Amino acid sequence: MFIYQKRLQYPIRIANPNPALAKFIISQYGGPNGELGASMRYLSQRFAMPSDEIKGILTDIGTEELGHLEMVGTIIHQLTRNLTPEEIKAKGFDTYFVDHTVGVFPQAASGEPWNAISIGVSGDVIADLTEDMAAEQKARATYDNILRLSDDPDVNNVIRFLREREVVHFQRFGEALNKATEKMNQANVYFMNPAFPGR
Amino acid sequence: MAECDNTLENCGYKSGVLPRCAPLATTYVPVQGDPEPRYEPEKALARGTLFPGLDLPLGNIVNQDTADVPMAELMAIDFAAHDLSLYLDTHPDDSEAFAVYKDLLALAEEGMQRYVKRYGPICKTDLVNARSYCWLRGPWPWEMTATREA
Repeated sequence: MFIYQKRLQYPIRIANPNPALAKFIISQYGGPNGELGASMRYLSQRFAMPSDEIKGILTDIGTEELGHLEMVGTIIHQLTRNLTPEEIKAKGFDTYFVDHTVGVFPQAASGEPWNAISIGVSGDVIADLTEDMAAEQKARATYDNILRLSDDPDVNNVIRFLREREVVHFQRFGEALNKATEKMNQANVYFMNPAFPGR
Repeated sequence: MAECDNTLENCGYKSGVLPRCAPLATTYVPVQGDPEPRYEPEKALARGTLFPGLDLPLGNIVNQDTADVPMAELMAIDFAAHDLSLYLDTHPDDSEAFAVYKDLLALAEEGMQRYVKRYGPICKTDLVNARSYCWLRGPWPWEMTATREA
């Protein structure tokens, strides 16, 4: 089960509201490479996994991703506070505002709502862990793009933290996959899927 | 672990060649050999990792510090412990790292109790010694206020 801690993993204090930034940063809330997908991907993949080590790393990183979801939501919230209708129109936030006001909705920057099709749960140890490594790279690349587009130091400080977490998670998933394949048939690691050993 | 210069030329890490019998069509991520060196917790939080070897920023632009909030110290210790725990997930037999982890957990526990006493509950279980049901009292973590407590 989960218990809420009334705090963020990393401090967020954004001095200047700016809905133009919120418009694209929301992609890391509910976009294809975002934190909602990350947490759902890892926490869902756990159930079929055959080893305690993989169950552990998916649980721990999946849980951290829930904290990152809250952090990205916090960035959106702080960037969209105290806005006037004039600012909303001038910064191009009107197309979001009309449906969601300043609520935080899981969607991509394009407006596409979050979709589970952006995550993979194959039930196959090698396929899932390889997907997870790719997912960390896609999220890292998206944070890179946010850093290219944003010039707000309060925002970028937090984005750099989140981006670095993707690098660390990539390393850990890679180590977990190394360990998993070491336990498999070394002449043919695809001989069977240890998550469904009946062949 | 060998000391490496910036170009990694003296590391010799590329010199290994797989023998013919080694499995192909599988990934090989370099395994982190050892949890040293480590950043201090405050720097780890600012950088987003406890480990200098994994600190790989875009364009070498790095955070010098984090926003100054009352919880910053606790966040830093808790983060250092968390990042070390992910290392332990893939290195569960590293007893030295586990000893460091336990020290960090003890520090985090102390810091947590100090914070709760001063600012209020972090978890609902912290209400065990509270005089009233103060769980609802803001600010909540996402709220930006001039005198932010969380």
